[in-house]
Amino acid sequence: MALPLPPGLAQAEVAFLAEMELVTVVPRQRLESINLLSGRTPVLRPPHRAPLPLWLALLLKKQRRANIVPPPWLHPTSLSQIIHRETKEDPTAFSAPPPPPSRAHPSQPGMAHRPAADANLSPPFLPSCTADAPAGYLPYHWLEVAEALLAHAGDDMAAPPGEVRGLLRDLVEVRAAKMRSSTSALEGFGGGLMSLRGVGAMELAESRGFVLGVVDGVRRIGASAEATRREEEEMGGRREDDEGSDDDMGI
Amino acid sequence: MDIDDILREVDPTYHVVPRERRDLQDLTRAWVAERSAPELLHWPAGGLFERIHDNIKRQIEKVEEMTGDMDPKTNFALIVIQTELERFRYLVRSYIRARIAKIDRHALHYLSTDELRSRLSEMELAYATRHQALLHDHYLASFLSSFPPPLQNLNDTAGNITMIDAPDLESAVFIRLLKDTLVEGRGVDADGAMDGRESDIVILRWSDAKPLIDAGSAELV
Amino acid sequence: MPMYGDLGNKLVQHAKRTQNLTHLPPYQAELVRSVAREVRDLDKDVASMLEPFQGSFDPSAHQAMACTLLVNHLSMRRNKRCLLAYHRTRTDKLEELVWSGYDVLDLSAQQTAGEEDYVRQYGDLLAAYKGQWTDIDLTGSLEPPRDLFIDVRVLKDAGEIQTEYGAINLTKNSQFYVRQGDVERLIAQGYLQKLA
Repeated sequence: MALPLPPGLAQAEVAFLAEMELVTVVPRQRLESINLLSGRTPVLRPPHRAPLPLWLALLLKKQRRANIVPPPWLHPTSLSQIIHRETKEDPTAFSAPPPPPSRAHPSQPGMAHRPAADANLSPPFLPSCTADAPAGYLPYHWLEVAEALLAHAGDDMAAPPGEVRGLLRDLVEVRAAKMRSSTSALEGFGGGLMSLRGVGAMELAESRGFVLGVVDGVRRIGASAEATRREEEEMGGRREDDEGSDDDMGI
Repeated sequence: MDIDDILREVDPTYHVVPRERRDLQDLTRAWVAERSAPELLHWPAGGLFERIHDNIKRQIEKVEEMTGDMDPKTNFALIVIQTELERFRYLVRSYIRARIAKIDRHALHYLSTDELRSRLSEMELAYATRHQALLHDHYLASFLSSFPPPLQNLNDTAGNITMIDAPDLESAVFIRLLKDTLVEGRGVDADGAMDGRESDIVILRWSDAKPLIDAGSAELV
Repeated sequence: MPMYGDLGNKLVQHAKRTQNLTHLPPYQAELVRSVAREVRDLDKDVASMLEPFQGSFDPSAHQAMACTLLVNHLSMRRNKRCLLAYHRTRTDKLEELVWSGYDVLDLSAQQTAGEEDYVRQYGDLLAAYKGQWTDIDLTGSLEPPRDLFIDVRVLKDAGEIQTEYGAINLTKNSQFYVRQGDVERLIAQGYLQKLA
């Protein structure tokens, strides 16, 4: 078999994807631009900050060639604020994802702007883990990025890594409970749609098999009931149409 | 010259990401989508994979050249280049194999209509056709040739029992909305509709998700 | 009297079992022959039933017979599906072996001569396909790449090794940043230790 994997990204694949997120580094050594397949890297000159994909930032960090600036949302104050929101403000839904970045052309502020080729960029290609990312919002790859930074750049954290780790653990627990209650709501998934706004990539990967299994199971069990309902609706719809045309004729 | 080059020419303020970066974004999105969709998607137009394959080839040549040059300063660059190279090779490999797995599983289905055939690259079409011929020969040699002639086809659909297996297009998927849009999904008890907002993650049937994805309003996650 | 379809079910059970095995179980030649024979017998029955009508059979005038014909027809097609499923499960298994790098010489003795042919031909097909993607290594790992380069400490003198960056002299207690693939054997042999 060419690919012995179930549909949907597995956790290792999600972690790989998250390594494409841009983070901000502070170089400790000069490094000339490197011509990569994904384009040229910025020239690194201490102490000027530069954005780099996480995989490359980690490589530099391991070699002590750079420090990584943790994204503002990973700051303990921000994490506490998010935990407060997840537990007190809305204990059922995930907290909101970061607001979409401004679509205006950076060099043409205020200019009427039409959608550019990059208008529908999405994670991991949005700058949601750089030093400029907003605090108080968890980006799509929050858990993977946080874990990678804690594992390899703990000394770059704004607070003792233990404190950050503890807050993350709380957050994981709060949100896992939300995921569980969402999935138990799935047992009655008869409505055709369910939104999980704010869910993270890893949280999705962990429960994907279960969630999709339940949804598909509900559909198979209810297939004949659904077919009957559609038939009835179609006939009902036709009758309504007929009545409608009668009215038209009355006018 | 592609559409961006044209737009840049008529409007110098037209802002685009460099081609290399956009290729990585397209490759990544194609990979995630193919790994997630229950059926085979279109082979990307515009020579994306051919271009990436050429670039990978060139980059490998560069690594070989740099390896001969023992300057320690280039050593780190070489590590970076090779690390990235492995990432690209993995993405392309996983993408192509996800497609082959789908093609192998439902080859007759993907070969059955022009619309479906058009989703395959030329190479995939040749592979699928040959693979199907090998299977048919093998079945003939094993049992099929002893059957009465009308029963020897593999693609017969007589009596409303099809011998062509097809992917389940009603399987559920996760999508992310790329813009605010109305989302409609059929359900068992009722059909649903919601005013979706950008960044919403929604579970729905693939057959309901596909129009949104084709329109560029959503992507598979 | 055994029902038509019993043998087909047996084949499907074999196919299901095969799916869960890592190796290829023996080919059920006798069962395959019997199911195929059943198809031919059913076809003969149909032909002899229809013969007196010379192509002008009217189902509404002979409802009982029409029913028998339908059952026969469905049984034939069901048997065909079972045979296809059984053989497909086996070719899937064989293809899996080809993907993981086995060739026909490595196979166990459980496959038939026809299956050996199949492995050879599918192997050629895959090789041709792989050849179009030479720089990707299609049969390579499906695990996302991690730690292509690693830090190692030398536990005992191992002399000089050749890497892509030239020679490295592995003296005890020295530390290097090397391509994992270059030193995997030395790690296994206890000369080097991978550092976290």
